[in-house]
Amino acid sequence: MTDVMETSCDGVLLQPLRPGDAGAMSTTTLPHTPSPLGSDTGAAVRLNELRRTYGTGADAYEAVRGLDLEVERGSVLALLGVNGAGKTSTLEVVEGLAPATSGSVEVLGLDPVEDRAAVRRRTGVLLQHSGFAADLTVTETVELWAGLVTDARPVEEALAEVDLGGRADVAVRDLSGGEQRRLDLACSLLGRPELVMLDEPTTGLDPESRRRVWALLQRLRDAGTTILLTTHYLEEAEVLADRIAIMAAGRVVREGTPDELAASLPATISFTTPRGPDGPVVVPPLGAGRRTDRDRTVVETDDLQVTLTSLLTWAAHEGIRLEALDARQATLESVFLDVARVAADAGETHPSTYPASQPEDLR
Amino acid sequence: MTTDTLSPRTTPTPPTPPSSRPSTSPWRDGVRRTRALSGANVRLMRRNRLTTLYAFVVPLTPLVLIAFADGSTAAAAAGAGSVLLLALVFPVYYTVLSMLVTRRDELVLKRLRTGEVRDREVVASLALPGTVVAAVVMAVAVAIGLPTGLPFPTNLPLYVVTVLAGAGMFTAFALWTASFTRTAENAQITSMPVILLASAGTLAPSLPDRAAEVLSWTPMAALDTLQRVAWFGLDTDGGSVGFAGSWAEAGQPLVVLAVWSVLAVDLARRTMRWEPRS
Repeated sequence: MTDVMETSCDGVLLQPLRPGDAGAMSTTTLPHTPSPLGSDTGAAVRLNELRRTYGTGADAYEAVRGLDLEVERGSVLALLGVNGAGKTSTLEVVEGLAPATSGSVEVLGLDPVEDRAAVRRRTGVLLQHSGFAADLTVTETVELWAGLVTDARPVEEALAEVDLGGRADVAVRDLSGGEQRRLDLACSLLGRPELVMLDEPTTGLDPESRRRVWALLQRLRDAGTTILLTTHYLEEAEVLADRIAIMAAGRVVREGTPDELAASLPATISFTTPRGPDGPVVVPPLGAGRRTDRDRTVVETDDLQVTLTSLLTWAAHEGIRLEALDARQATLESVFLDVARVAADAGETHPSTYPASQPEDLR
Repeated sequence: MTTDTLSPRTTPTPPTPPSSRPSTSPWRDGVRRTRALSGANVRLMRRNRLTTLYAFVVPLTPLVLIAFADGSTAAAAAGAGSVLLLALVFPVYYTVLSMLVTRRDELVLKRLRTGEVRDREVVASLALPGTVVAAVVMAVAVAIGLPTGLPFPTNLPLYVVTVLAGAGMFTAFALWTASFTRTAENAQITSMPVILLASAGTLAPSLPDRAAEVLSWTPMAALDTLQRVAWFGLDTDGGSVGFAGSWAEAGQPLVVLAVWSVLAVDLARRTMRWEPRS
């Protein structure tokens, strides 16, 4: 009897962790106690009620305002937001470069400030702007970083991975922007990190360089590396991310898979408003929002299939032809614009409202 | 997928799980990182013509004063003051200042601080190359003097302490100066106050009593007094002391040096910036 109970417990309650199934533990209610070595399980990053304030008194500015976020192990999470939304301010706390003003921060089960050495050995960071000594060559730069990392991978291997093997003896000052970015990534990845934090990895790169960086990040993800990145390119988030968190005014306002986010706004059906002998034909309610936009009728719905079926059934019954019929799910872009619009209406993310000392995305 | 055509041939390496990461000693790791960074700094010093001149050539020139002192202790002691001054001001103070400002502008310091390396290791790696140059120059000065009849240092430990403490203090002054130095070129102007303060100190022995008294409280005067007593066994009145007496003579200048060092370190700590002003 006991055996049966245990078996069923194993099978139902304690599902075995598969490799890569990193999130399995994060949904349990086990109390989390950070161990000195950190844990191999649980969320890679866990932020709770995170706040970060710059300055004091009348000049104080709160860049991060009670942010909750979890990044599952082995997953890619993109922090998306307009400039000044608080992406970099948040990332700096996760990276251990700045302390949180309040709230809790857990990185690989550890505190990035208290457990600095242990966390830094297992993470890789890419800042928004690369920082290299212009007079060193590519190889010398990676060799220097190899000397700064515990258990660094071979330099040639690191360069080959970012496709810079052929540029090994070139001075950093002579590299293109895309090459510098990939060199920077090579340095970030030298210690085979479990978690990498990338602040706008492809901002300012040409499309070809951007795709090279994406390919590299996709290979990293496939190898099991957890990636937390910020971007303001929607396409980047869609291509790379398992989950997307949209930030506005220091908070995460939407979070989910790209599909979930798209599903959070209504789908739209539109067609040229049909004309009968008595003028424009009015479409029946169909249980969804309905408006006209010049000569088109636009129907908004949370259930595209049902509404579309009703519409087509009605049209067939009435013998009406719906010209230029278009049915589509909301896109990530529409979700993002919706968030940006709401935030702008609240007057919170407009750069001109920031104090000059605000050392965020606005440099 | 379109990106496949751009993928390099290498297979991605999976991250190292924590259990298979080697355990290491923090102290050994710190030494390894400091050595790696110092090596890169030496390389960068040699690639910049001005830094090469200031760090490796200028400090050698006053060695002539030792060679031509002709065994005269008074002349050699004055010359040794200049040797120490140039060895600390150029390879240490000015080089640390210009490298720090350059690396800061290049965002290298900011980038380094995202990794495992500690702030103190970054600072040590900036100061180490110049400190080694200063120590070598002071050793060469003794080696040059011996055949001309100059003595071996009366108090070798004090001689070494003088050079190292001086290097530490000037490093702290460099970190502080960097806080109001916008660019590496700008360092030529912003370094003047500290260089003047340092130069004034070596004038003390040749000035009237009142002026000498005031100047004796400057950091370089303290260092000059220390090298005189440590190498030549000379007290401030020109008398001579032995090993034991040299410690007593060193008391006042060591206190002066300590006070200036504390001040310099405090200024550096409070003003240190790791990235350019935005």
